[in-house]
Amino acid sequence: MWATNLKVVGVVLGTLALYTLIANKIPQVQSEVPQALTLGANVTPEQLVSAGEKVFTGIGGCTTCHGLGTRAPNLLTDERGTGPIGVRCAKREPGKSCKQYLFESLDNPTAYVVPGYQPIMPVMTKQLSPEQVWAVIAFLEAQGGTVDVTGDDIAKSKPVAGGTTSAAGSGGGSFAGGSTDPKAIIQAAGCLACHKLDGQGQVIAPDLTHVGSRRTAESIRKKILDPTSSIAKGYEKLAGIMPKTFGTMLNAAQLEALVQYLAAHK
Amino acid sequence: MADGAVLLLQAAADTSHAYGEFPLVGARAAVWIAAEVHLMFAAFVLGVPMFAVVTEAIGIFGKDERYDRLSKEFTRLLLVAYSATAIWGAILVFFLATLYPRFWAYLTAVFGPSMWAYAALFFLESFTLYLYYYGWDRWKKGRAKVGHWTLGILLNVWGTIVMFIANSWLTYMMTPPRDITPSTDPTTIKLWHAIANATWMPINVHRLIANVVFGGAIVGAYASYRFLAARTEEERAHYDWMGYVGNFIAMSALIVLPFAGYWLGREIYQYDQSMGITMMGGFMSWLWVIQAFLIAVLFLTGNYYLWIGMGRIPGAERFRPYTKWLLIILVLGAIVWGTPHTMIADSKELAAMGGSHHPFLGALGVMSAKNTAVNLMILTTFLSFLLYRRANTRPVVPWARTGTMIQGGMFAIAAGIVLFYGIRGYFVEAIVRIGFSVYQVLAVLACILCVTVIDLLMARGAQSLGAIRWGKMPPRSQYALFILAVTFTWLMGLMGFARSGIRQYWHVWQVMQDTSRYAATPALGYASKMISLCVLIFLCLVAFVFWLGGLAEKSTFVASGGREAGAQHVGH
Repeated sequence: MWATNLKVVGVVLGTLALYTLIANKIPQVQSEVPQALTLGANVTPEQLVSAGEKVFTGIGGCTTCHGLGTRAPNLLTDERGTGPIGVRCAKREPGKSCKQYLFESLDNPTAYVVPGYQPIMPVMTKQLSPEQVWAVIAFLEAQGGTVDVTGDDIAKSKPVAGGTTSAAGSGGGSFAGGSTDPKAIIQAAGCLACHKLDGQGQVIAPDLTHVGSRRTAESIRKKILDPTSSIAKGYEKLAGIMPKTFGTMLNAAQLEALVQYLAAHK
Repeated sequence: MADGAVLLLQAAADTSHAYGEFPLVGARAAVWIAAEVHLMFAAFVLGVPMFAVVTEAIGIFGKDERYDRLSKEFTRLLLVAYSATAIWGAILVFFLATLYPRFWAYLTAVFGPSMWAYAALFFLESFTLYLYYYGWDRWKKGRAKVGHWTLGILLNVWGTIVMFIANSWLTYMMTPPRDITPSTDPTTIKLWHAIANATWMPINVHRLIANVVFGGAIVGAYASYRFLAARTEEERAHYDWMGYVGNFIAMSALIVLPFAGYWLGREIYQYDQSMGITMMGGFMSWLWVIQAFLIAVLFLTGNYYLWIGMGRIPGAERFRPYTKWLLIILVLGAIVWGTPHTMIADSKELAAMGGSHHPFLGALGVMSAKNTAVNLMILTTFLSFLLYRRANTRPVVPWARTGTMIQGGMFAIAAGIVLFYGIRGYFVEAIVRIGFSVYQVLAVLACILCVTVIDLLMARGAQSLGAIRWGKMPPRSQYALFILAVTFTWLMGLMGFARSGIRQYWHVWQVMQDTSRYAATPALGYASKMISLCVLIFLCLVAFVFWLGGLAEKSTFVASGGREAGAQHVGH
C-alpha cells in the first residue's frame, strides 16, 4: 500500500512541478503600478529614449496594434519598404519635421491615417502626460533617425494658466484648433474609432451615416452632451463607453456645427 | 479631474489602517491562499451535489440501486468538505478584515445585506445537507424517496444562490457599473445595481459548469485511489465504474465550458477594451499559452483514459485503429491552440520577429485558427466517447446502417462548418470574424445533440457483445485520473489568477485603487508557485477529509454487500 501511496504522491508532485516549471521558464512580465514620469529641463536624449521605450511597450499600450502589421503600421520595423518610423517620419508630410509629425500623430491621430489602415488610434495626448508623450516621440525618432526632443518641448507642452497646453491646444474652445468644420471636429474627437460615417470608421458603435433619419437635432445634441441619455437598440452592452467630456471640450459653435452636420445625414 | 489626480488624492486619503501586514508571506499571499483554497472547497461542495442528485434520480427512475449507492457515497464526501469550506471562508473574511480593512469596509458598505443573506443561505444549505445525508436510509422507498431527492434539489438551489451572491462581490470588483466613480459614496450604491454588473451572469454560468467539471474530477481521483487500494475484485470493479462516471461527468461538462468562457471574455471586452487587451494581448498573454497546454493535457489524458478503458470492453477492438487518427487531431489541435499571437515583448524582440507575432506561426495564433482547433478537439473527444459507448454493442434496429451514416455525415458537416468559418475568418474584418465563432460553436453543439439522440435510439435492444469487465484496468489508467484532477485544480487556480489579475492595481476597477505595497500584479512564475502551493494544500486537506470519511463509515459499496455488486457492473 505504501508503494501505491508513494506513486500517487509522485504523480501529484510531478504534475505540479511540471506546470510550475513551465510557467517559470516563459518570459516573466509583472504588471507594475504606473509611476509618474518626471523629466527635467536638462533631460538627455538617452534618458528620453529609455523612458519612451517603457511607455511604448507598457502603459502606452502601443504594441497592442503597432507591430502586428494588421491593425496599424509597423513602427519599430520596416513598413512596406519605407524603413522604421525614425527613417520615414520626416518624409511623411511635406514641410513637417519628424518631431512635428510624430507629435501631431499622437495629438490628432486621424489627421495622417496611413492608407490601408482604419482611424482607430485614440488621442494619446489625452491619455499620457507631456513627459510621456515626448519620451515616446524621442523613442520613435531613435528608430533609425536622430533624436531632437529636448526638455524645452516638454516644458512648452505643460498646462499653462487657463488649462490649455501650448502645443497640444486641447480644451474648451480650442478643440480641433477651434475649427467649426464638422469633419475636423469628428476627426479630432476620434468619433470614427467606434462609429462609421460615410463609409469610413469602425462598426463598434452605431453607424452614423443615416443618423439624421433616426434622431432629431435635439436628440443628437443631447446624446453628445450626455451619451448615456439614450442607448441605441442592440448597443446596450456598450453603454458608458462613449466619452462624457464633449460638453466641456467643444465650444457652442462647434457643438452646433457637429449637431447640424449629423442631423443632415438622413 | 484627471485620473492621475484622483489616484493621488486617493493615495493621500489612505490611512495607516488601510492595510495590515501578515508575517512571513505577506498580506497578499495570505489572502491569496485563503481565497483560493476556500474557492476549491466551495467548488467541490457545489459541484458534487449536482451530480449526486442526478445519479440519485437515475437510481430512482431507472430503478438501478447502484446509482443510489454511488450518490450516497458522493454525499458522504461532502459532509467534512462543508466544514472545511466554512473554515477557509472564515479565514478569508478575517484576513480581509484585518489585512485590507479599507477595501473590506468598502465592500461591506456596498454589499452588506447580501452578506447577511449569504450567511443565512449557508446555514440553510448545511442543514439541508445533513437532512439529505442522514435521511438517506430512512427515506429510501416510494414517496419518501422522491421527497429525499427533492432535498437534494433544494441543496443545489441553496448552493447555487450562495455562489451567485459571492460571484456578485468579485465581479463587481472587476466590472463595477460605469456610473460608479472613485467619488461615489458606497452607501448610496443600490445593491441590485452593484450585483447585476456586466460579468456577473457570465461568471455564474461559467462557474456552475466548472464546478461540475471540478467535482467530477475530484470524485474520479477519489475512486482511482480506492481502486488502487482495493483488496477484492468486486471493490475494484465498483471503484473502476465510479472513476469512469466521475471522468465522464467531468469531460462532458468540460466540452461546454469553453463556450461559457468565451461569453465571459466577450463581456469583459465589451465592458472595457483595455481590460480585454490586458487579458489577451497584454502582460497576461503568456498565460493563455500555459492554459492551452493544460487544456491539451486534459483532452489528451481524458481521451487516453477512454482508450485504455476500451481494453476492458469486448468488441472495442473494432475501433482501436481509429484512435491514432483521433490522437493526431488532438495533438495538432493542441499545437495550434498553444501558438501565441500578440504578446508583450521589448523592442529588440519585436525587431527580431519583425512584428509582435511570428511571421509564419503568427497566422496560427489568431482566433480563427484557435477556435477551429478547439472545436475540432471537442468533436474528436465526443467521437471518442461515442466509440466507447458503442464498443460492446451492435445495433439491431433496421435503420442502423443509415443511422450510422447520418451520424458520420453530421460529424463531417460540423467539421466542415468549423473549418469553413475558420478559413473565412482570415478574409474578413475582426468584428465579422468574432461572429463566426458562434456558428462554429452552434455546429459542434448541434452535432453533439443530434448524434447523441440518434445513438440513444439506435441503442434500443442492441445486441450485447459482452459485459464490460469493470475492474480490469491497468493502474496507469488510474494515475491518468489523478493527473486530470491535479490539472483541473491547477487550471482553476490559473484562471482565477487571470480573472483577478486583469484588475491590475485596482481593488475595484477604476474605482478603488490598491495602494498597498502589493499593488503590482505578479508575473506568471510567482503566480504558478502560489497556485501549486494552494493546490497542494487543497489536495492534502481533501485526502484527509476522505480518510476521515472512511474512518467514520465503510464504503457504501462494502456496506451494501459486495457479493452482488461486482456482477451488476455491466453497463455504462
